[in-house]
Amino acid sequence: MRVLVRLLSCLLGLAIAAAGGLLATEVTWWWVQPGSPPLLVPWHEWLRLLGTVNWASLPVRITAWSVAAAGLLLVLFAAAARRRDVRLNAPAPEITVTTSPRSLARTVGNSVRAAEGVTGASVTASRRRVRVRATSALKTEDQLRPRLTELAREVVGALPLPHTPSVSVVVDSPRDRR
Amino acid sequence: MSKFSDAARARSYRLERGLTGTTGVLALLAGAAAVVVGMGLLGEFRAQRPVADPIALDFLRQYPEVTKGVAIALGVLLFVLGLRWAFRSLRVELRPDLVLDRTAGNGLRVVSGAVAEAVRSDAEGIDGVAKARVRLVGDEQHPALRIRLSLTDGAEVRAVWQELDKVLGNAKSCLGVAELPTAVHLELATVERQRVQ
Repeated sequence: MRVLVRLLSCLLGLAIAAAGGLLATEVTWWWVQPGSPPLLVPWHEWLRLLGTVNWASLPVRITAWSVAAAGLLLVLFAAAARRRDVRLNAPAPEITVTTSPRSLARTVGNSVRAAEGVTGASVTASRRRVRVRATSALKTEDQLRPRLTELAREVVGALPLPHTPSVSVVVDSPRDRR
Repeated sequence: MSKFSDAARARSYRLERGLTGTTGVLALLAGAAAVVVGMGLLGEFRAQRPVADPIALDFLRQYPEVTKGVAIALGVLLFVLGLRWAFRSLRVELRPDLVLDRTAGNGLRVVSGAVAEAVRSDAEGIDGVAKARVRLVGDEQHPALRIRLSLTDGAEVRAVWQELDKVLGNAKSCLGVAELPTAVHLELATVERQRVQ
């Protein structure tokens, strides 16, 4: 997403520069040589066309909706391009330590998978919360969940995190379905 | 965590995100305004007027010099700002050299790669570190280190820190600098790579 925003940002910059350049040259040309046809952009024609359509006409409404939708997309892209790094306590004032949410998930996942009775686990993690979804062939959710929650809390607690993320565990077991 | 070590975490995207988001907000507002006018919420009369409204055009024709002057100024401004914006987005991060002596005629600098390589080889010697990537970022006035450590599964983070603190202390005393802002990114529980024989 960050690469996309950087690319978009560059393209938007170029588009604005192109629009500004065309505006300046066309108006200058029109000022210097009044009455002559426009240089690059047929804006006399555009102005005539815009004089024939009203605000309620279909093409204008479609354009308005598309511009609004494109704007919304840009806002969403810009909002999604944030860094999701998880901060760790820094050992010295001039040092900043971070880790990735994926690292956090991997650490928790490795120890959950090593626990007895767990056949598989998927973990998602963020700064605030760690979600574990474990599968078990032999144990029920009630048997396994307290132990896994404890284990995941322990693993997360061993890391020097400034705010301990909340841990939630779900166990998917065929024995619960009977 | 200081301002410089925080800035060294990654290339800043503030400008790119800010300008893209602002453009998005402006487009959203303009589009929404046109939709509102078209739906007749500002009066049926307004909705039935042409987009290029003769009243507005006549107003502009009354002051031709002002209109043209403003249009040209706006065009030049957009051109300059747009180009600057595009080039800023394309700009890559600097790898500044470490300047140890700034007195005139007496410059002493350590090239960026040498510092990074020295810290990297030290960091890879730490128990539990599978791989380290180091580079100098920032500018010559405020250089900073960016370190990315891949830790093996089961490595003790606190123990790695203590060792890393020594490595950084060594680097600082070797270079004779009082402080070197550092951003450390830890990749936890990475599987140790098999070396190719």
